[in-house]
Amino acid sequence: MENYRPRVGTSVEDLDTPCLLVDMEALEHNYRFVAETYKDSACKMRAHVKNTKSPIVAHLQIREGGTVGGVCTAKVAEAEVMVEGGIDDILIPNQIVTEDKITRLCSVAERARVSVAVDNAENVKNLSRIASGRGVSIGVVIEVDTSMGRGGIRGKGHGVELAKLAHSLPGIDFKGVMSHQTLDGSPDRETRFIWGRKYIQQCLDVKDAIEAEGIPVEVVSSGETFTIDVAATIPGVTEVEGGTYALMSHNFDYMDDLRYAAKILCTVVSTPRDGTVVADVGTRALASPGGVMPFVEDMPHLAPEALHEEHIVFRCEDGEMPEVGDKLTLISGQQDMLTNRWDQYVAVRNGAVEAVWDITARGCHN
Amino acid sequence: MERPIFKAPGTPVEELDTPAFVIDLDVLNQNIETVHSFFRGRESGLRPHVEAHRCPAIASMQLASEGTVGGVSVNTVGLAEHFANAGVRDIYIANPIVTKVKVERLCRLARRVSMRVYVDNVRNAADLSSAATSLGVRLDAVVGLDTGLHACGVQPGAEAVELAKAVDGLDGLEFVGFGTYEGRMVGEDATREAASAMVETKGLAEESGLGVEVVSAGGTHNYEVMGAIPGITEVCAGAYALLDSRYAAQKPALEPAARVMATVIGRPEAGLAITDTGQKAAGADFGLAHLDAGFNASLKSLSAEHGSLALADDESKRLKMGDHVWYIPSDIGTTSNLFDYMHAVRDGHLEAVWQITGRGLYR
Repeated sequence: MENYRPRVGTSVEDLDTPCLLVDMEALEHNYRFVAETYKDSACKMRAHVKNTKSPIVAHLQIREGGTVGGVCTAKVAEAEVMVEGGIDDILIPNQIVTEDKITRLCSVAERARVSVAVDNAENVKNLSRIASGRGVSIGVVIEVDTSMGRGGIRGKGHGVELAKLAHSLPGIDFKGVMSHQTLDGSPDRETRFIWGRKYIQQCLDVKDAIEAEGIPVEVVSSGETFTIDVAATIPGVTEVEGGTYALMSHNFDYMDDLRYAAKILCTVVSTPRDGTVVADVGTRALASPGGVMPFVEDMPHLAPEALHEEHIVFRCEDGEMPEVGDKLTLISGQQDMLTNRWDQYVAVRNGAVEAVWDITARGCHN
Repeated sequence: MERPIFKAPGTPVEELDTPAFVIDLDVLNQNIETVHSFFRGRESGLRPHVEAHRCPAIASMQLASEGTVGGVSVNTVGLAEHFANAGVRDIYIANPIVTKVKVERLCRLARRVSMRVYVDNVRNAADLSSAATSLGVRLDAVVGLDTGLHACGVQPGAEAVELAKAVDGLDGLEFVGFGTYEGRMVGEDATREAASAMVETKGLAEESGLGVEVVSAGGTHNYEVMGAIPGITEVCAGAYALLDSRYAAQKPALEPAARVMATVIGRPEAGLAITDTGQKAAGADFGLAHLDAGFNASLKSLSAEHGSLALADDESKRLKMGDHVWYIPSDIGTTSNLFDYMHAVRDGHLEAVWQITGRGLYR
């Protein structure tokens, strides 16, 4: 486990590398953007903290405003960490199916409001049996598949059937519906709005079908970073599950309103040939799903050429060649995977360390 | 940090919480025996590259099996400190160590254990020399050569010998030879080419009066080729112990000892199963994991926390929510850096839980 706790006040240039930085001004900008976007909207943010994995960071958005007052987690272990860190309202937009995990979920429900997504009747019955046996209540939302082809019900009828079941059983509290969406590439604003609305409408259609059966639907939890500004404009959506928006990475570079807050500080360790620059961070610490490359902040003449386990190799095009010992700042191509590789955030402001925060939910796969 | 539910040794593996990183001890022992026995009685020895598992429990098994040079290789000072604390006495950092803090840590470590470092830059060599001298320690140094990976390393031949001479002339640094990593998964021709460049450079250095004790190269992909070439003194292989799906495809004598057990959390449509194990647990830096044999299915995609399996008709009828499936990771070094625990299993029952204490030591 990495354990690097530089003194508060240490200048960024004096940090050892590689190091995961949080640019506090950028993070606060992103959190303010959310607070402004959802200030006057019926819909609120429920930050998906699988991306940030730290209760401290989660509290920053809740304090800034625009939220439902709670968070999403992908895993029970992440929910445990959040509740231990003082968050009292959790939605797990994911299926929790094993006896051990449902039992842990019930324990979390003794200390916080907890909801979980379902797409299967047997799972609903198991949740009911275990929760009622332990004398707790777990909220249930039905996951609707809109575009991922992953978890979630595939037809309105199935949604209605599950809602009736959840509504009728003890130990669980039917809350509503949820969905995740995906959009490839680098869509412009218009494309985001068209597809975001279209996908989320499928989730709203299931809500309408359930309500037509006389079952009230309190929660429609949908949307993510690419629909952060879309979902707020769709009547009926009650909350948005943004994740990457907080720390950001360049796979969402088309989200013009957001700034890069997660940065990787690294050091040039070798310049073995003309035009070749090697720095001390690689796939182990950066993650490179599908070969995604970071870029160097403020140094567009350094083109990433290869990522090895512990190294990144740049080709230096026209422009100044860095020297061994020089520091570079990288912007990740995939923030969610990046954070999952680190145990600590070094929060920086005005070029100096402001705080060091443990990423306490890292590795919480269970 | 990972927080799996504790299960007592003796628990059947199918009762572990998922995602679970599971090591088959018999296969692990067999892989170690297969590779180490190749090196017994040879000029070259194996230097286990322990970055591939980051786990002292496995390093001690490797060093207890004959055929090694008696030490390990790592990539970072943090891992060197970690394995030194776990009792390893001879460590090679196969990477340039540049920052002031790290140079100081490296030199202090050299007071307790034998340390060798990779150098490809004369200024860096001078920095190492002055730190080592002021602390009164000696660092062994290999000159790093680029033999095909095109990352770190000077060119073989005259350029390498020139740097070797410069290193040899510095106090606190002991020039001991040359090191390279010729590249991931390179074939036999590229292996022989890299070895020739190394051995020729060694010859040139010796002609110029330098002593060359160490010529370090190779990995799991080419250990039998590299390890048999005269002049090569050590092979830094790591993945051979636990293996992964990429090496398994290339090395039929070895078997995957590491797998990730996942649970099916959904069967939303015929032919499709969703699991609780995605990129964050299995890794996807070097391609997708493979599903273990025994499932008439394939891993279609991994998202952050989910796997999507494409099921053949019979598997689609059989596999249900709550069932387990097994992944063979595509890159063992990635997966070992994502979990905090390995569940060591023998004959299908938990025998020990090993903490992956070297995880995340990037500095």
